[in-house]
Amino acid sequence: MITKVPRPNLLRRKNLRPVAQFTIPTWIFFALVVLIPFFYGVYISFLNINLASFLPPSFVGFDNYQMVLAASETWSTLQITLIITFIGLLTQIPIGILLALVLHENLRGTKIFRSILITPMLLTPVAVGLTYRFMFDTDLGVINWALGSLGIEKVNWLGSQTSALFAIIIVDSWQSIPFVMLLVLAALTAISPSLYEAARVDGASVNQIFRRITLPLITPTLLVITMIKIMDFLKLFDTLFILTRGGPGNTTTTLGLWTYKTGFVFLEFSRAAALGVIITIITLPVYFLWRRASRGVR
Amino acid sequence: MILKRSASYSLLFLASFLSLFPLFWTISTSIKDRVDTYSLPPKFFSFTPTLKNYISLFSLEKFWQIYSNSFIITLGSTLICLVVGSLAAYALARKPKFRGRTPLEGLMIAIRALPAIVLLLPIYKLSSYLGLYDSKMGLILIFAGFNIPFAIWLLMSFFEQIPVEIEESARVDGASTLKMFTRIILPLAAPGLVATGIFVSLLSWNEFLIPVIMAGENSKTLPVLVASFISNRTLDWGPMAAAATVALIPIVLLTVVIQRWLVAGLSSGAVKE
Repeated sequence: MITKVPRPNLLRRKNLRPVAQFTIPTWIFFALVVLIPFFYGVYISFLNINLASFLPPSFVGFDNYQMVLAASETWSTLQITLIITFIGLLTQIPIGILLALVLHENLRGTKIFRSILITPMLLTPVAVGLTYRFMFDTDLGVINWALGSLGIEKVNWLGSQTSALFAIIIVDSWQSIPFVMLLVLAALTAISPSLYEAARVDGASVNQIFRRITLPLITPTLLVITMIKIMDFLKLFDTLFILTRGGPGNTTTTLGLWTYKTGFVFLEFSRAAALGVIITIITLPVYFLWRRASRGVR
Repeated sequence: MILKRSASYSLLFLASFLSLFPLFWTISTSIKDRVDTYSLPPKFFSFTPTLKNYISLFSLEKFWQIYSNSFIITLGSTLICLVVGSLAAYALARKPKFRGRTPLEGLMIAIRALPAIVLLLPIYKLSSYLGLYDSKMGLILIFAGFNIPFAIWLLMSFFEQIPVEIEESARVDGASTLKMFTRIILPLAAPGLVATGIFVSLLSWNEFLIPVIMAGENSKTLPVLVASFISNRTLDWGPMAAAATVALIPIVLLTVVIQRWLVAGLSSGAVKE
């Protein structure tokens, strides 16, 4: 007769697991760069710190928030952020999907093409911005030259709001489309080939297969991408800073860049901190939607 | 198949051309004489290469100091990310539930989600009290803090692939958890550590907003130097392109080496819970 002995493995497994203490160093760093700064930032937003003034700061309650919410720049820069986000998403997601679909066909040379296509997202944004600024140059830029040879007149790309916004979106798309492409490609790879076969046996057209099978199955991923991209457009800084620095005037300044300018150009530090808190509040719903959406992906 | 084969290939070639052209254009401008840079129609291949721009870049008073700053800060913050990140990643990969797991993951995502300027404003103010403004050490710590989440996400996926049974047998031999981690787990995850290290150093190397706010004359990094060209009224594209090339070349070389892990890194944190 076999006596039941407790399984030593299970007992031991408890001690075996790494201890939660392993996360302590990470907590220290997170305290350093997120927790303390965040609460300190909230605190600053209730003072009247101006970096150019030597007066000791005093408590001003919600003054900064009132001032920031009354300022037209806050709303105009928010509007510009939304425009860039909206047009950027409409550009990047369809192109990203198309490229992912083509890569998913696994034609000969796909690996090399994939390597080439992800290169833009790895490159230093500042250097990329600089290169594009040269390429967008009105008189000497290669882009106007190429357009000229197609019979299109010179565009002063960075000289007016509309064309500058287009230039910013082009550069951001150049760096961001690979990210969309990679995530969509991962989602496509996860779809079982038998689904396609079954659809083909039933005589579905390519178009139908895409609309009825592929698109619904990659929708969760598309939602995640949308959320991440919205957050990234709020963060947009490096290429924008190099390309236009928010100009001409403030016509291409996003909310994030405006916060930077308020704090480090106009030295209105507390007002910038208030803007920071407002950005955090704007980010929150996107953050939660992202968490929800990413649960659907795996 | 959505497109015809020929259409697919044309699309791939077009996209590849558009992806590589700016890189090609930067490098070719960096080895052009002034006359060739400003010539119309643009000269794509028919010019005599010159090292002039590089010589004028390298003879900039602070160039080498800035270049070494970039290396030191990238290296230092990457090492911290690997040490600190691997410990946390191991705990997260092996222990499904512990106190503080949820808030820790929440903070990781917050770092990914929040525009850095929101946190950098207060960090700037605090660092002047702590004497960390314009110090390489300060930048290393801040870079590390912002990049640790990426290191954790990537390393977790590598630790999850190591079978638990290996640890169990080590435990039978009486090894402590830390010892087991350093002697058994880390060596097994070596490729993952390398891939993570390269990916995180890429993030540090490219970082602009943190040093533009936190670095003065002593700790300036390469992206700050590259950006400073733009504020000169006299735009001289040659040396500018040389500076951009110097920043881009290490990346291009590295990415050729780590192709395989890159894809996991680039999408890290996006779809993981």
